[in-house]
Amino acid sequence: MRLGMIFRITGALIFFLGVTMIFPLLFSLYYQDGDLWALGVSMAITMGTGALLFLIFRRTDQEISHREGFVIVVLGWASAAFFGSLPYMLAGVLPTFVEAYFEATSGFTTTGATVLAAIEGAPRGILFWRSLTHWLGGMGIIVLSIAILPFLGVGGMQLFKAEVPGPVADKLKPRVAETAKILWKVYILISGAETLLLMAGGMNLYEALCHTFGTMATGGFSTRNISIGSYDKAYFDGVIVVFMILAGTNFSLHYRALTGDFRTFYRNSEVRFYWITLGGAMVFVTLILWVETYDTLATAFRYASFQVTSIMTTTGYTTADFEKWPSFVQYSLVVLMFVGGSAGSTGGGMKCMRILLLLKQGRRELSRLIHPHGVIPVRLGGQVVSEGVIQSVWGFFFLFILVFVFTSVAMSLLGLDIVTAFVSVAATINNIGPGLGAVGPMDNYTSIPVIGKWILIFCMLIGRLELYTIIVLMVPEFWRR
Amino acid sequence: MKIIIIGAGEVGYNLAMKLSKEGHDVVVIDHDPEKVRHIDETLDVKGVLGKGSSPGVLKAAGIGEAEMVIAVTDSDEINMVACLIAGTQSKIPKRIARIRNLEYTEESQIFDEQHLDIDLCINPEMETAKTILRLLEYPGSADFAEFADGKVELIGVRIEEDSYVVGKRLKELREVRDRFPDLKVLIVAISRNDRILIPNGEETIFMGDILYAVLDRHSIRNVLAYLRKKEEPVKRVFIGGGSHIAFEVARQLQDRGITIRMIEKDPARCQRMAESLEKVLILQGEITDQRLLREEGVEESDFFVSASDDEDANILASLLAKRLGARKTITLVRHLHYLPVLPTIGIDAVVSPRLSAIGRIMHYIRKGKILSVATLKEEDAEVIETVALDTSDIVNRPIKELKFPKGALIGAVVRGEDVIIPGGNDIILPNDRVVIFALQSAIPKVEKTLMVKLEYF
Repeated sequence: MRLGMIFRITGALIFFLGVTMIFPLLFSLYYQDGDLWALGVSMAITMGTGALLFLIFRRTDQEISHREGFVIVVLGWASAAFFGSLPYMLAGVLPTFVEAYFEATSGFTTTGATVLAAIEGAPRGILFWRSLTHWLGGMGIIVLSIAILPFLGVGGMQLFKAEVPGPVADKLKPRVAETAKILWKVYILISGAETLLLMAGGMNLYEALCHTFGTMATGGFSTRNISIGSYDKAYFDGVIVVFMILAGTNFSLHYRALTGDFRTFYRNSEVRFYWITLGGAMVFVTLILWVETYDTLATAFRYASFQVTSIMTTTGYTTADFEKWPSFVQYSLVVLMFVGGSAGSTGGGMKCMRILLLLKQGRRELSRLIHPHGVIPVRLGGQVVSEGVIQSVWGFFFLFILVFVFTSVAMSLLGLDIVTAFVSVAATINNIGPGLGAVGPMDNYTSIPVIGKWILIFCMLIGRLELYTIIVLMVPEFWRR
Repeated sequence: MKIIIIGAGEVGYNLAMKLSKEGHDVVVIDHDPEKVRHIDETLDVKGVLGKGSSPGVLKAAGIGEAEMVIAVTDSDEINMVACLIAGTQSKIPKRIARIRNLEYTEESQIFDEQHLDIDLCINPEMETAKTILRLLEYPGSADFAEFADGKVELIGVRIEEDSYVVGKRLKELREVRDRFPDLKVLIVAISRNDRILIPNGEETIFMGDILYAVLDRHSIRNVLAYLRKKEEPVKRVFIGGGSHIAFEVARQLQDRGITIRMIEKDPARCQRMAESLEKVLILQGEITDQRLLREEGVEESDFFVSASDDEDANILASLLAKRLGARKTITLVRHLHYLPVLPTIGIDAVVSPRLSAIGRIMHYIRKGKILSVATLKEEDAEVIETVALDTSDIVNRPIKELKFPKGALIGAVVRGEDVIIPGGNDIILPNDRVVIFALQSAIPKVEKTLMVKLEYF
């Protein structure tokens, strides 16, 4: 473990994060909400610390090892959240460290769980930063660094794999840096399209950008207290639904589609599974809401499609108080939280790919009972999936359940009711945001006790980095020579 | 340049590593998921799972934009078909295939433009046989390469304990050299404890060092004679094993008046060898059989070449032969990961078909930009031959004024027929051939200095 190199790379990352603070600073200059000083100082501290770390530690040309990769990613994320929390504290929006750190982690991990009670009262520069953290964390700060910092090229694959969601990372180009660049370009392109469409519907640039960041990163921070519902405009609902679905789809496929290969969506069995699950859930929820809650089919479809998409893609925007919906719908939404988007997307959850592989593996076990001598490979889109990948998916599933059980039991130990304890963990570990009970769509996470907030911060981070990266650091063997 | 490598075995892996480090975009195709995963994770290249001879797989690997295909799987046929199919998919400028079977290479018209259109066929066994013959010809050199059509050579010489130069400083050697104007030699590097260093005049030479020198062809014998105790001419050679390589070496040696004994354990193969190698005595037995070696007088042999198909037996046989009194040994090793440890256990010279194949392919790839290249110590350092361009920064001024990168030095300049070992006041003229020694880390900077454009063809 070469700590010098780890600090140096983390320093570069932090410096870079400081540079991105220029954007909220510009909005702050424009709106003059009194947060200029807070953002300026945060930017100076962040860039200064980053530059210092980068310069103090000597450069090494050696490749990053497997283990160092894990440490860099985790340290990078933890410190991004730390420096990301500075603006909240300095502006006095969230004065306590735990709340500011919670909000920043929630931003970078694209969770969208907030402890900000009066959103509309907060200065707009700060709110812009809040949404920007989503967008940076969505495609990944590490992936962005790989694309921009040339010295991460060799060995960058270790970092890339640790950050990109899904059991297998897809290389679009021979070089990791090129792959990272392409993913970010596609991300920027689609984000640009959404911003334009939202502005066409009447949002100003600031609001359009904030909501684009929330959608494309499947984050969920809004500039309004009651989220997208406050606009009450079917056009916005529609645009955001479409882009949430896109954001929950593998970005490698978007790249292939943009280069002319549209059938790539159809050929990819994970995306088929993702769209069928999403569509099926929409139909069911629409029908039930039509019978139980809303008068017309159209209204039922509007709210159902938005909420189902928002939860399954792990965005967490709301247009309706789904706690008032029938319990079947509420329960279905909680189940969808765990499924999540597809691998290689910005969505959270366990990812469709893993669920699909687990289903196929389960079916294979049944086939083996029927044909004890059968050699039955698991196939995905015609390709045989290696046993190593399947084992890793099983391991992931088990660890996920394990972490979920421990953290939700710990939450109930703090005195929360069962629904809140269960759903607050589900909504954070899957990077969604709003849940049920005390953390429902019309509430926020302020009421969670301090220790509970730290537990949820841990859940958000472990969910975004997909367990292994963080859990492996807790294994004593990892630190042994 | 985008390069597709078919086959992620040792040759494919090492080529991918070198090419990717030099800035090429590399895609590697293999049908073994484990190998693809390994190469994908450890190198900055893209691994594609599938058969290299399948059009669909080649397309997925991006054959459309590729500028070179290198087929180095274990099968000649797959390599040929892969090159053929790559050619039908798109007009690939360069195609290289590893072809082992001599029957194919003898029918070389099948590789011409009307048929398979393969630009370079590599036969690792033949390349290795050539290397062994060279080592036999110049016994003291542990390593060598030719430059400028053989006018300039790079040799590596292992310094034994009885050598005259042990304990001397390099500047003392330089003084000796300067007394003989005909002697054109420059010591460019010392390999010590598995590391390559560029020495200055104060550096002392120790026993066990390998000195690397760039020198004029005519100076080789004198330089070798100086660096080592006097070499007896090679008269008796033992060849352990009856492999293709061993056969080729024996075939070419037998007419030079050298007594050759070849040991092979398979009776049928012995029979075949005995039939086709008239002047070679074929012995049936294990190459690690002490009694047999002693009976046949291994202690009087000048060279023991272990070239059987079993590399572990080769290493043992070489150690054994050395202990029994063979003067020098050459050991054939297949797996590259053995290479770093072999000198430390007392193996003199090692040859490897894979290393030969990699060297030959790298040499070919750099052609055009750089005329020739040789790799020392697997990959730590390289010797590059290039033509000084008009536009280059290195021409028309004294060498001491050049801003040459650290870790690189000019070993020799070839002007017409003359070989010059340059000093600080010498000037490189346009169109001189320049032989440069550089550590791996300095190569990109050297290329920049040479102002060779990044186009390769």
